Amino acid sequence: GGLTFTFDCSAQNHVTSKLSFTVFYVKLYTEIHKPFSFRYKDLHVYQLEHPTQVLEWTSGNSVCVAGYSQSKNEILELRLPLKLLADENKSLCAERDFKVSHGGFTDGPVRCLTHIPGTRCAVTNDGLSSDLQVWDLGGEESDVIRRTGSIKGKRSASERGSRIAARPSSAPQVLHGAQISDVQLTELASGETLYKLETDSADPLSSLQFVSDTVFLAGCCNGSVYVADTRTSAPPQLSHSPSSAESVIWWTDAAAGPHPSSRRVIRVSSSGQAVVSDLRNLGGAGCQAQLDVQTPGRCSQVKVSWAPTLDDCISVSGFSGVVQIYNTRLWGAEPQEARPLFEHRGHAVSSQQTDDSVPTFVTSHIWHPERPRTLLSAASDGSVHVWDWVDPNRQGGSPTP
Amino acid sequence: MPEIKVTPLGAGQDVGRSCILVSIGGKNIMLDCGMHMGYNDDRRFPDFSYITQNGRLTDFLDCLIISHFHLDHCGALPYMSEMVGYDGPIYMTHPTKAICPILLEDFRKITVDKKGETNFFTSQMIKDCMKKVIPLNLHQTVQVDDELEIKAYYAGHVLGAAMVHIKVGSESVVYTGDYNMTPDRHLGAAWIDKCRPDILISESTYATTIRDSKRCRERDFLKKVHESIERGGKVLIPVFALGRAQELCILLETFWERMNLKAPIYFSTGLTEKANHYYKLFITWTNQKIRKTFVQRNMFEFKHIKAFDRSYADNPGPMVVFATPGMLHAGQSLQIFKKWAGNEKNMVIMPGYCVQGTIGHKILNGQRKLEMEGRATLDVKLQVEYMSFSAHADAKGIMQLIRMAEPRNMLLVHGEAVKMEFLKGKIEQEFSIDCYMPANGETTTVTTNPSVPVDISLNLLKREMALGGPLPDPKKPRTMHGTLIMKENSLKLVSSEQALKELGLNEHQLRFTCHVQLQDPHSDADTLHRIYTHLKSVLKGYTIQHLPDGTVIVESIVIKVSSSAEDSNTKVLLLSWSYQVKTWTLFLERFTLIYNGVLPGG
Repeated sequence: GGLTFTFDCSAQNHVTSKLSFTVFYVKLYTEIHKPFSFRYKDLHVYQLEHPTQVLEWTSGNSVCVAGYSQSKNEILELRLPLKLLADENKSLCAERDFKVSHGGFTDGPVRCLTHIPGTRCAVTNDGLSSDLQVWDLGGEESDVIRRTGSIKGKRSASERGSRIAARPSSAPQVLHGAQISDVQLTELASGETLYKLETDSADPLSSLQFVSDTVFLAGCCNGSVYVADTRTSAPPQLSHSPSSAESVIWWTDAAAGPHPSSRRVIRVSSSGQAVVSDLRNLGGAGCQAQLDVQTPGRCSQVKVSWAPTLDDCISVSGFSGVVQIYNTRLWGAEPQEARPLFEHRGHAVSSQQTDDSVPTFVTSHIWHPERPRTLLSAASDGSVHVWDWVDPNRQGGSPTP
Repeated sequence: MPEIKVTPLGAGQDVGRSCILVSIGGKNIMLDCGMHMGYNDDRRFPDFSYITQNGRLTDFLDCLIISHFHLDHCGALPYMSEMVGYDGPIYMTHPTKAICPILLEDFRKITVDKKGETNFFTSQMIKDCMKKVIPLNLHQTVQVDDELEIKAYYAGHVLGAAMVHIKVGSESVVYTGDYNMTPDRHLGAAWIDKCRPDILISESTYATTIRDSKRCRERDFLKKVHESIERGGKVLIPVFALGRAQELCILLETFWERMNLKAPIYFSTGLTEKANHYYKLFITWTNQKIRKTFVQRNMFEFKHIKAFDRSYADNPGPMVVFATPGMLHAGQSLQIFKKWAGNEKNMVIMPGYCVQGTIGHKILNGQRKLEMEGRATLDVKLQVEYMSFSAHADAKGIMQLIRMAEPRNMLLVHGEAVKMEFLKGKIEQEFSIDCYMPANGETTTVTTNPSVPVDISLNLLKREMALGGPLPDPKKPRTMHGTLIMKENSLKLVSSEQALKELGLNEHQLRFTCHVQLQDPHSDADTLHRIYTHLKSVLKGYTIQHLPDGTVIVESIVIKVSSSAEDSNTKVLLLSWSYQVKTWTLFLERFTLIYNGVLPGG
């Protein structure tokens, strides 16, 4: 015998509320009735008013999100719930909510947001041109995120906008550009250009990051990767795309580990091909795999990321409403189908999307810099999840650190 | 200027208690009368000296409204009513009226018996205070007196919680109390119509929160229970309010069914009695046609959940028990706790806030050694889990509520204005309304723009419409001419003719005249004709006529020409116009200058 419930919601919205609540309950009922494998150590699910495409740490316990609608949007700095961060008295802490610690308004979409380490400053790009906006995230005394300036980019109109990377240490400087020939390093305080990448290629960029304080990696949409040093004007090292297929787009991430030996680069294509190589020998033999992604080809915001503290683990999102974690140690020299180590399906399962013709997809995800298996993910329906996954290979053993 | 004053009573940045004073249309209303749970001295009561320095509050307040039964909203009620003194009406919903005294009595017992306080309200005071309560039904307008009316709306949050609409004349205020915008298993979401109050008053603390989903909280709860059961432990869940216990029971029942678990689940007898009592309350509440929950069945007819007997507590093996009271301060839940506390395999899950002085409060603060009666100490070895299931609105919820009610101004209490600039900006931008954030003890004055309804006569309306031009718009008002007649309590706007007729008066006409001298040798008739031709060419778009009786008419200005007696070359123009045409004096001057320029002497 099952339970039956009839919920009449407010007099005005009689039928629709009843229906939507029933749908919600059915989904919930089904979800609870799945085999209760303890796949998560922690799971928090939030709903933002507007979806975000950016997730950026501003400290160990706070993260920035921002809207990407055509006109006005909000930038929010969210503080993670105390319960997630409390390691010792976790059970006595009931606080599970995000706190909006600071907020501000933008005039356009935010497609890229980078925090300048050691400061309360962030830099954004709207994806329409290569100009950057500079923001003060606010301090103790005010909760307002204010625009303090801008940095002119090379292109007044750009299809994808600029990628931004903040220099890890030293004075606040940002590396930015919409295409490889535009990459420049700008000092925030003066607006002065300290470095320009010398190359003629006009390939648009899909990623830009520092792998050390002065060496950076620029990944192009066509799959080629450039490595250069901001201290020299020497031409960059170029590694060509793993594939010559034209309609394929590539995304790149470099593991910026402490040891040069751990510095590897992964490239993932829109067709699900993944290639890992050593930073010092990009063209050399690495390992590869064919990722298990649904709807390959239909993606615009793929994010691939090395796990900061777990060796060999990478995460991929953007192909659907799922975030996948793979162990690259299992990959070989020949491309084989890889199965993910873990899949976070929360965004697809509990989608808040009102329009069912467009499936929810994950817009971004990030790893916590220190907590080994904690990630944040955001999706096109405005959901943001914080999850701490359990390694299925270690399940049943002692509590994972 | 008409204005509404709002003052959150209390000091500094205190968030723990709600008590707000509103002055509207000459009436004074107190919203909630909460106790601050963090203080042990008089600071826990609201500071009524703001209202009057000495004595009773009856003469200074028209009514007191309580939003729901949580102690931070009603905890100071008996103190205010019986110790400070207030004999006026106290309004609250039926369920609040039923549950309030129980919570107040529990709270009184803890404070006096457990903490040994003396200057506190008594049981009799609680009873006397509740006698002054007038219960409210949802969506029913209640006349407090012939000018002040109030109406309760469904707020969700807890059983009986209401948002309240207060109206005096054409000014109004809505106070939200605590509310929730997403439906619960046994409570719906808050709802209000587009009542467009002058001020919407709400808590600022929610506005900066983004809440973790209900599913995650439930998942965590089930996980913890399961882990304990799996290792053979016993789980105690102290509950008070039926609503929350009901939800958790449903959760466990479903989970047990799916996972095919065998461990017994019990609910204590104290809960069954309360169950039937609250069941009846639910029915009364739902008779308001807002929500039907679990109708037509005994609320505790579960397959896996059975009635508890105190001897079961000693049974070996895993089990789950729901027991009252909720803060472990007495009764069955405390008895069970004492038996199970020594075993680390066991667990106690506290689903809500515990008042200072209770065992619940102590263990939630990490205390692992408790002093019991007779100097005995209890070692707390079982696992203590604090889980909050209370349903509150958040940032998104506040925006939704504002969209629903369409207030003209927003007022947020219990926040630090300096640190809420973003939220203020967000509300002001999105809704183009002002957002106020008074500190405790500070008064905010909001100037209202009350609209006064006036009937307009059909004839006058037709006449105005015939004049053409844009339709009147709230943002672009259109001026019109008419006579306002105030008779008894009604106002009407009629045309001047109709007003004169009703009053039996004759209409008087005012005409102005002026003489303009010109030098022109032509005959009077010729001069007039030249003036006519000239005006026709410079004043395009105006009706200009040359009448056979020797006058030129420009719209309603009449022009006649005559020669001066002394000199036939000096012409005198007689211009005459009616009272309405004041602006024509400007044209007159212009006319003179142009004319003198065009026709040089001769």
